[in-house]
Amino acid sequence: MATLWSETNPYLGAPKGDTDFARITDNVARVAEAAKPPMGWYIAFAIALTMLTGFGASLAWVSWTGIGAWGNMHPVAWGFPIVNFVFWVGIGHAGTLISAILFLLRQTWRTAINRFAEAMTIFAVICAGVFPGVHIGRPWMPYYMFPIPNQMNMWPQFRSPLEWDIFAVGTYFTISLLFWFMGMIPDFATLRDRATTTPRRLIYGIVAMGWRGSSRQWHRYERAYLLLAALATPLVLSVHSVVSFDFATSQAPGWHTTIFPPYFVAGAIFGGFAMVVTLAVPARQFFGLKRLIEIRHLELMNKVILATGMMVGYAYGMEFFIAWYSGNPYEVFVFVNRAFGPYAWAYWTMIACNVLIPQLHWFQKVRTNVWCTLAIGVVINVGMWFERFVIICTSMSRDFMPANWGYFVPSTIDYLTLGGSFGLFFTLFLLFCRFLPMVAIAEVKGAHRDAHANHGGHGGHDHSHAPETA
Amino acid sequence: MSSMNAKHPRPTYWRSLAELDQDPKFQQMLATEFPEPLDGREMAPGTPARRRFLQIMGASFALGGCRFQEDKLLPFSRRPEGVLPGEPRRFATAMELGGVATGLVVTSYDGRPVKVEGSPLHPTSGGGASSLHQALVLGLYDPDRSEGITRLQGQARVAALPAQFEEFVAAERPNWQSRGSSVRVLSSLSSSPSLAAMKQRFLTAFAGAKWIDYSAVETDNLEAGTTLCFGKPHQAVYQLENARIVLSVHSDVASSTDPAGIVAGRGLARGRVPEGQPMSRVYAVESSLSLIGGIADHRLSMSAGSAKAFLAALDAELSSKLGDAGKGAQPKPAAKFLAEPSIAKFIAALTQDLLANRGAAVLLVGSRLPPEVQALAQRLNVLLDGVGRTVTYHEVPVRERRKDALQALVQDIQAGRVETLLVLGENPVLTAPTDLGFAAALAKVKTSIALSEFEDETALLSSWHVPLAHPLEAWGDSLAHDGTITLAQPLIAPLFGGRSVLELLALLANDPKRDGLEIVRRTHAGSLPNQKAWDRAVHDGFISGTMAAPASVTVGVLPTFALAESELRNGEASNGKLEIVLAPDSKVYDGRFGNSSWLQELPEPLSKQTWGNAVWLSPGTGKALSIADGDLVKVSAAGKELTLPALHVPGQAEGSLRIALGYGRYAAGHVGGLASANVDPVGANAYVLSALGAPFLLSDASITRLDGRQAIASVQDLHAIDAVGQAGIDERRGLLLAEANLEEFQKEPDFAKHLVHHPPLESMWNDPVSYEGHKWGMAIDLNKCTGCSACITACQAENNIPVVGKDSVLMGREMLWLRVDRYFSGSPENPKLSFQPVPCQQCENAPCEQVCPVGATMHSHEGLNDMVYNRCIGTRYCSANCPYKVRRFNYLNFHLDKVEATPFQTVTNKKKLLMHMVFNPEVTVRARGVMEKCTFCVQRIQNVKIKAKNVKRSIADGEIKTACQQTCPASAITFGDLNDPTSLVAKDHALPRAYSILEELNNRPRVRYLARIRNPHPELG
Repeated sequence: MATLWSETNPYLGAPKGDTDFARITDNVARVAEAAKPPMGWYIAFAIALTMLTGFGASLAWVSWTGIGAWGNMHPVAWGFPIVNFVFWVGIGHAGTLISAILFLLRQTWRTAINRFAEAMTIFAVICAGVFPGVHIGRPWMPYYMFPIPNQMNMWPQFRSPLEWDIFAVGTYFTISLLFWFMGMIPDFATLRDRATTTPRRLIYGIVAMGWRGSSRQWHRYERAYLLLAALATPLVLSVHSVVSFDFATSQAPGWHTTIFPPYFVAGAIFGGFAMVVTLAVPARQFFGLKRLIEIRHLELMNKVILATGMMVGYAYGMEFFIAWYSGNPYEVFVFVNRAFGPYAWAYWTMIACNVLIPQLHWFQKVRTNVWCTLAIGVVINVGMWFERFVIICTSMSRDFMPANWGYFVPSTIDYLTLGGSFGLFFTLFLLFCRFLPMVAIAEVKGAHRDAHANHGGHGGHDHSHAPETA
Repeated sequence: MSSMNAKHPRPTYWRSLAELDQDPKFQQMLATEFPEPLDGREMAPGTPARRRFLQIMGASFALGGCRFQEDKLLPFSRRPEGVLPGEPRRFATAMELGGVATGLVVTSYDGRPVKVEGSPLHPTSGGGASSLHQALVLGLYDPDRSEGITRLQGQARVAALPAQFEEFVAAERPNWQSRGSSVRVLSSLSSSPSLAAMKQRFLTAFAGAKWIDYSAVETDNLEAGTTLCFGKPHQAVYQLENARIVLSVHSDVASSTDPAGIVAGRGLARGRVPEGQPMSRVYAVESSLSLIGGIADHRLSMSAGSAKAFLAALDAELSSKLGDAGKGAQPKPAAKFLAEPSIAKFIAALTQDLLANRGAAVLLVGSRLPPEVQALAQRLNVLLDGVGRTVTYHEVPVRERRKDALQALVQDIQAGRVETLLVLGENPVLTAPTDLGFAAALAKVKTSIALSEFEDETALLSSWHVPLAHPLEAWGDSLAHDGTITLAQPLIAPLFGGRSVLELLALLANDPKRDGLEIVRRTHAGSLPNQKAWDRAVHDGFISGTMAAPASVTVGVLPTFALAESELRNGEASNGKLEIVLAPDSKVYDGRFGNSSWLQELPEPLSKQTWGNAVWLSPGTGKALSIADGDLVKVSAAGKELTLPALHVPGQAEGSLRIALGYGRYAAGHVGGLASANVDPVGANAYVLSALGAPFLLSDASITRLDGRQAIASVQDLHAIDAVGQAGIDERRGLLLAEANLEEFQKEPDFAKHLVHHPPLESMWNDPVSYEGHKWGMAIDLNKCTGCSACITACQAENNIPVVGKDSVLMGREMLWLRVDRYFSGSPENPKLSFQPVPCQQCENAPCEQVCPVGATMHSHEGLNDMVYNRCIGTRYCSANCPYKVRRFNYLNFHLDKVEATPFQTVTNKKKLLMHMVFNPEVTVRARGVMEKCTFCVQRIQNVKIKAKNVKRSIADGEIKTACQQTCPASAITFGDLNDPTSLVAKDHALPRAYSILEELNNRPRVRYLARIRNPHPELG
């Protein structure tokens, strides 16, 4: 693969500079500085933009005609839009987990992927954030959900978990954005300093916010980073817990379950990591970042995936057990119906993707193989989407009173919206790859062995670093 | 106007305008104010014509529609005395269906009728009305109605002015007078005294003319049967409330197609009270599920062809026990038939019950069964001392049988003996048996005049089409089921210049009286001699004391009839030996309501199918012939074929197929099918199978599966469901729908409260409201509910509920606030049927209220879950969290649909505006994107509260009636204030058999159900 793009890809040449630090800087910065990205980027961007257009078109159509353009029906009042919402919120988990929790746990391997994952988080939460706004019947008035003082004396109803969502997702997005942006400030300064044209200097200069790299600045930066990490850590747990409350606090069989908050969080980390590897593998391949995002990093992520996948599998099993143990006939029915009813295909897709296939990661050969990593990452993403589909659609399609039962069939517009949301995600992600430092230059350096040259043999920081050229 | 006011200082509401037509000034003004647009085809009601519409409405006040004394056309800004704009006014009127009148009350806002209800004063309707009656008002504003007279010129239909038609009539009249024998009239079967009088005038004016009473559905058998039994045709009037034992043999009693359905439903329900009084026991023998089959304690699936054998066996059994053998009693049918243990046991138990309840037993026989079966049943009714107790008879005029009359008519036409044919309010091109060749015959007639509301199949082929006035636009009269003379008054002037049957006949016969009102008054001049008496009758909607006197009857000796071998087998699921039952549809009747979107979307009570018909077959027959639900099939009998989807219906007799008539129309309109606008017909036209000799009961039929399937837009899961789902339904049916046998109930009256065991219920929230004033609640008696679904239409009309169209129903997006759930239990061959109407349960601890992020659904101080439409943004969380799923969401703009998802997609938006006239101004019309649900008719509650408050009195129990409650013929629904322990609803809530569904969720619903109690014969179990 290394030669695939070599003729057109300026990144695949030998990096300039002699020292490792310089190589790191050059490796990352030249991606953002190149006059022209590789052809692959254009192709990918064209595809993503087309999908984004589909997203815009589908949402415009839905706003114009009514959300009946989707397949949502009675009793499945929440169809694809909410499935997509929960899916994207879940994806948005890995970023903050990697940046905040792993940071606090001093897992320095995270530096190779944290920027990446944070960006992914931001974009995933943007994708997620679109859905609650557009899925409502009157998409021109989602602001009714915000506590805005108004002449009508209307106020949100704070007992509603949807209202909690607004705050949970809003807070999460704000903190993630700040965290991401703040982490990029030293790198923006690097780009500014390396800039060869005035517009680049200006733009990177503005976003670098006057960074000079003084000790004082570094000191404050690291304090602030630590504080934000501490602030973000509970959010990783809270946001998907709150999203799960939408279901857990309701009465519907299959939703009304206390296991949901931890189950959703585990699932979110699982899905989020799967998305990180899905993105990291091609990115390191195309942008020549193999020396920064190493196989070792992928393997570590695969281990996290394996662990969280087991938790998710446990949750699936426990749901069944508790349903049976509760003796509640409606609850029992929902689970039997999931596995053996009309939506069994979705259920078994979910089980295969989320529980069975990730077991391959027990084998080191599999988890250190980039293609297996990528393939399993994609499979898990599919599986996690189906998990939300199974939870939302199968539970609603057959609830308490049989007279209401129905079978949800998505419309073409549903697929267009779902695909389109990936378009939005990838468009943003490709723009990020093109214009922003994809790897946290300063942090990688901090974790690099050269940064610890004076601490020979101290710690266990990344001493096994070895260039890898597979 | 002021001068008019001065002349009549105090107008009474019920006054009419007899002199209107003779007022030349008014005529002139009409002519100038409404040039031909009223009749001309170019008039389209819409934005420019909206103003015109209001003018017409203004005119309606003058024209006698709303009975103001004034007879000048004036803008409504000059308010007539005693009329408050926006104040609803209610007028009594009537609708005739199948020759039987039902007394109605119509609510009108500013001259605009919006709601039809049964008249509480009327002796037979007693406040109840079927869906067909209630949908009248939608038909009034149907934009597809004919807008004027048309005539056939060559192959094209061209518009004609009324004056041209009148000229034509004047020119033709001498011909008709001289050659009266070339004139034929095909008129709707009617009991109208005025029509009878007009018929005499017509036949006198055109000597030799022939008059044919036509009905698309079966009516001959009842009369032929009573003739056979009593020597003269009689109408049987059943008093089911007096019956302890009811046997229904293939009857559609209590259904909307039964002319006496409302009386029957009420009567049946009165016998179904398990507390305090002895409860009736109902037996049903039928080939298809029916409403009375649903009520029945014992139901036997039996093909219609075996009904004769069944009744013969019963007759033999009873006659021998009563010592009446030989007088028409039939020999015991072949042992083969009785060898079937289920039949033998059934007859034994039934005989025992009938004998033990002489004087309190009644047999009802469906009109489809042949006269000798009818005669047998009436004989048994008399034998069991039912006369005067459970049944009375009154004589009806002798009529030529439909078959003979139609055959003679077509023969006359073919022989060239007919030059003029009048078709009055009927659609024989669609509904006559195909082997009659009516359409071809019609084309041979020189002058054919079709009077119909729509330019329908018959009108298209007639040389003249004259718009028929809608029942709410015309004066008329007709006899109720018990013979009471019932008057119909117009609520509005004809919107499209239609004429009533009486008015057209008056014109043709050159009657000096041309106005419907005058014609009707003339008919009743004897019984209503003065204005006061007339006013009283119009006010009440009927002439009191005109109930037909019961005739005393003597049963003649019935001829013994032979039983063919095929009649002795209870159905056989093999091709070539199947029977087909063609039945009028409970929604479109004989097809005449085919363009009513309310009725098309009303779930058929038993199959729950909307938008179309299907061939019903039993799951066993389906299996034997490898036909699955939704398969397209070809049904054939006697060389005629019909293609339509198949539907497995439990309880259908083996080897018996049932197809609803009235579908597959190509000239109904934009809802029901309109070939000229490329609107596909709804359903398939089953009349093509009908033969002159065997119009509604065909034998030796076949059914074959074709390639392809057709989705059946059912609002409830069909019978064929996966095993997991079926197990789930079986498990919970008994929890949601409490049922017990009478014996069990008497042992443990509060069994329904103990169906679900749950821990003590506690809530996180404090009660938001203490309900100090009123505390509204509802009780629904599952024992009384017949499942007839009249309540659904009542709710739709009252609450401006949109119609969504077949595609949206298939997606489960129907909007009906009130649904009637139907459950089967027992074996699919002979299931027990249960209905459960489910409105919003108005929970005190409402799950919907807790999850709405914008507070769009809130708890009122009287305990209602109020919907604030303006605040709703449509998150649909409330629906997701509602365990009853009674909330309905406007996925599209169903009322004025820009995306063409609903019916009427090819009707211009301008035309749709006419339909907006049907909206109840008291209820918000919801736009797309908001959630809606049952409000307990909060507008009715508020209106009564305001009225009571204005005069500082308290609200009496029963003063507020929800729309569903008001129309329920069975009085299964009670509503009122739970804070008043003496209110009916509080008493119902306190009954031991009252329970709430899903009580264990601690929602504390305000709707309680009274458990269904069955009263089986101890030996049948």
